[in-house]
Amino acid sequence: MSPLALVLLPTLLAALLIAVLRRPPEILALVGVSISVPASGMLLTMAFAGKGYTLMMPGLPGMPLLLVSDPLSAVLSVLVATVATLVMVHATGYMRKDGEKRRFFATMLMFVTAMQLLVLAGDWLTFLGAWELIGVSSYLLIGFWNRKPGVAGAATRAFLYTRSADLGLYLGVFVLIGAAGTSNIAATLTTFGTPALIGGLLLLLAAMGKSAQVPMQDWLQRAMAGPTPVSALLHSATLVAAGAILLIRVAPMLPAQTLVAVGIVGGVTTVVAGLVALAERDLKRLLAASTSAQYGLMLLAIGAGAPVVALLHLIAHAAIKSGLFLGAGVFQHSRGSTGFEDLAGAGREHPRIFAGFAISALALAGIPPLAGFFSKDAIIAATLAAPGGIWMAVLALAGTVLTGAYMARALALLWRGAPQKGESGDELQWMGLGMGVLVALAAGLGAAFPRMEWLLGDAPPVSVLAMFLGLGASLLGLALGWLVPGARLLGPLLPWARRGFAVGGGMDGMVLRPALAMAQACNAVERRIYDAVLAVGRHAMRLGRGTRATDEAGIDGFIFGLASATEAAGRRARRLQSGLIHRELALTIAATGIIAAALLVAPLIY
Amino acid sequence: MSKDLSLLQPELVMMVIVALMILAEMARRPLVVLWLGLSGLAVATGLSLPLLGADASVFGGTYRIDLLSTWAKLILLPGTALSLVLARAELAGKMREGSVYSLLVLVTLGALMLAGAGDMMLLVLGVVLTGLGSFALVAWPGDDRATEAAMKYLVFGAVTGAVMTYGLTFWFGGAGTTLFSALTKLQGGVVMVAGLVAVIVGLGYKAALVPFHFWAPDAYDGAPVSVAAYLSVITKIAALFALAQVLRDLSPQTGWPLVIALVAALTMTYGYLAALVQTNMVRLMAYSSVAQSGYFLLGIVAVGVNALSLQSLIVFGAAYVAMNLGVFAVVMVQGRQLDEFRGMGRSAPAMGVAMVILLLSLAGIPPLFGFVGKALLFAAAIDAGFTWLAVIAILNSVLSLAVYLRIMVPMYQPPAEGEAAVSGRPLSGLVIALTTAITLLSGVAVQLLLNAM
Repeated sequence: MSPLALVLLPTLLAALLIAVLRRPPEILALVGVSISVPASGMLLTMAFAGKGYTLMMPGLPGMPLLLVSDPLSAVLSVLVATVATLVMVHATGYMRKDGEKRRFFATMLMFVTAMQLLVLAGDWLTFLGAWELIGVSSYLLIGFWNRKPGVAGAATRAFLYTRSADLGLYLGVFVLIGAAGTSNIAATLTTFGTPALIGGLLLLLAAMGKSAQVPMQDWLQRAMAGPTPVSALLHSATLVAAGAILLIRVAPMLPAQTLVAVGIVGGVTTVVAGLVALAERDLKRLLAASTSAQYGLMLLAIGAGAPVVALLHLIAHAAIKSGLFLGAGVFQHSRGSTGFEDLAGAGREHPRIFAGFAISALALAGIPPLAGFFSKDAIIAATLAAPGGIWMAVLALAGTVLTGAYMARALALLWRGAPQKGESGDELQWMGLGMGVLVALAAGLGAAFPRMEWLLGDAPPVSVLAMFLGLGASLLGLALGWLVPGARLLGPLLPWARRGFAVGGGMDGMVLRPALAMAQACNAVERRIYDAVLAVGRHAMRLGRGTRATDEAGIDGFIFGLASATEAAGRRARRLQSGLIHRELALTIAATGIIAAALLVAPLIY
Repeated sequence: MSKDLSLLQPELVMMVIVALMILAEMARRPLVVLWLGLSGLAVATGLSLPLLGADASVFGGTYRIDLLSTWAKLILLPGTALSLVLARAELAGKMREGSVYSLLVLVTLGALMLAGAGDMMLLVLGVVLTGLGSFALVAWPGDDRATEAAMKYLVFGAVTGAVMTYGLTFWFGGAGTTLFSALTKLQGGVVMVAGLVAVIVGLGYKAALVPFHFWAPDAYDGAPVSVAAYLSVITKIAALFALAQVLRDLSPQTGWPLVIALVAALTMTYGYLAALVQTNMVRLMAYSSVAQSGYFLLGIVAVGVNALSLQSLIVFGAAYVAMNLGVFAVVMVQGRQLDEFRGMGRSAPAMGVAMVILLLSLAGIPPLFGFVGKALLFAAAIDAGFTWLAVIAILNSVLSLAVYLRIMVPMYQPPAEGEAAVSGRPLSGLVIALTTAITLLSGVAVQLLLNAM
């Protein structure tokens, strides 16, 4: 069996087994995801040995479905498998008392399978299919507690926001397939000129939706309604990552103008989402805003022409952010809420969890020798090295300051306050185990970066200036966040940030209302068309009646005789309830005549 | 001669089986009839497989063993087997149920003749053989509605059959032989037109093309649902394949592609417009299958111009058999009225999902089987220079979505008060599961099918 199938099948089979056997869901889920780790690890080992795999399946004519393992997809596959396994370990504890964990684990497995499919997709059709599967399963997971008020709405909102941006993916993929004449992703990357420009911009739209970039950042924070392990998975290596992965994949094809657009979107997002995070009053929503901001940094790196750097930050961020979310899950479990008012002092109750949370936070802020330091450093270096990229460097540094500020603010709010005595069961062990490994990864992953750079065949620029600038910005941010309350830091911007910088009325104003207005307009047009169709119908009926009148007037004795004879025969044989058959036969005969006439005329047209 | 007979093995098996089935029915052993029919169909399907790739004709060119006729066997024989299972699910325990089974197999024999016809006499024979059995099938329930429907079907069949036979005599007179392959001798003119009109009327009636479709909604509604499912699929595809067999030998210079294209546009549009206002599911599906036969004509327009046309006809034919039989199976379980589908998605979730998949495939949503078939048909028509027809067909696909959404949307609304849950029937469930699986999987694996051609 191809190792590619070995990555995808265990999770899929585990999901099916859960649906059939109904128990024990957590054990099946853990077995399923943990088999996919060595399988994807094998892909990575073979990639280091310079060997890739391809699995071709029959698809549309001329467009076979492809699964491909190259260095990039192997790295991402390992990342997805690892994070998914650790989140699943955490979820074993988190969901222990939930009555519907069977549905939870089955959907999580389906989600992981879809993400692996997306990562390994070698052609655009498979990619599209996986993209849609991710959308559906994230909808199901965000809306998991669908009996709580407002949850179903949040899930629908997330789904519709990302769906409306998916239009870009469909159009972009059509442009690329049309220009290259093949659906093979690697082959379409040779596209150049206008198709590459337009296709790239359309794909950027899709990525903005999935990776929650300005102005479509709003849905991600509302998506916090789901269980915390879901957030941990969605925000690190899966749903949100899909957008950045798409752009990293197609980066070699993007012309300079598109890259600038990618950079602008990323840069604006990292600043705006960072400000929003400073104003948040809820831990999970703060982390969500920070996800948008970090993905903004990745887009900034892609815009600066360094997709490998973006990938490194994606990997570092995946480990860090899932660890942070799992920590938030523990706090949520002991206090029953994620609002900062309820969480004050929660850090003191679980000092070890808080320590892990703090390490992850410092890693995200970019303190050496933690993983975030290396990737963030590389981003700043890449923006400095990009031609005309000084504005990008400024935005990246601003993003770094903000990262330090909001992470320090979260730590401060968790630490300051009185601890409460809460009971802790053995589910805490499962949650702590999953989180512990992730924190270790967040701390140590930086050591593996040079190997990955070598594998991906691209060494990012090294710059001492960038290192000092980055470290200075991080420390400044951390100090500001710890010492100064977020509200005072924001000053006059506070009310804006609280509303999530809903630019121009946010999505509601920019997509929802125009879409509704367009629907109204379409309705009006359609009504007019409907009237026209009815008018055509009326005239056709008149024509039919006319034909009948001429028939019955005896111009064509044959038709008349046949019709009336049939009618008489029918009446004699049986009193037919509807006397329509003679009329329909007359129509048939008339049509026969028309066809004959048309056939006589048609050769003249040819 | 013995070589001829070896090529005819599937048909010969069918003939013997029909005779045995009628004997068993005379002994009133319905289950024996059913099993005879199913095993006969299985054997005939198996015997057809070695014929793949053959391009021959038997009995002096009157009967063709070619791509179209062999695939017709591979599509229609399993389709008939599914119809037998459906009929058993619907009619088990009724008086004379065995006669339905034997008639179904007999009509399929006629359908195979149509799909392989290389000669005018065989064409007439096929039309008569399918017709006689179908009239009896529609009249089978014996109540007023069925009798009236069968009567209407018969009168229509008699008139169009007479027109067809009469017109074909012109061709015979002009060409001096009844072989289609000799028709190239005719250089247009009135003789050519007379025969063409005859074929279009005769086969158009059988395939329910507009404006020869008037019998279809009444006949389907009067007949048992399983018989309606059968008629909407097997005889229709046979007639359309026969039309392709006739027209492939004629020069496009006679102008037939243009006329067929006009009929196609009319059939698709009229069918879906009429389906849009139906409240009876069987009648709705009748009009929907009228419209679907318009899509088949897209492939026929290109016949003789490109190789894609035959492939597209076969692929869409296979897809259509699966989709339509599946939908009719659901109708059989759920009820004949559109209102009865309200809330079905909740009371019978598995069947609801199957129905949604089947209907979306009928509307041509990727990546389902129906989409692949339609995409190939569009490609064939565009390649033959009928881009305007493909555009009309695509516009009609939008219309079709409205038709099928009228079924799907109420399925997921809360049911009306006091609805009793429908009891599942294992046999129809089997048909639904099989057809849904084919619809889902073949869309992805259609390359295998194309490679086999």
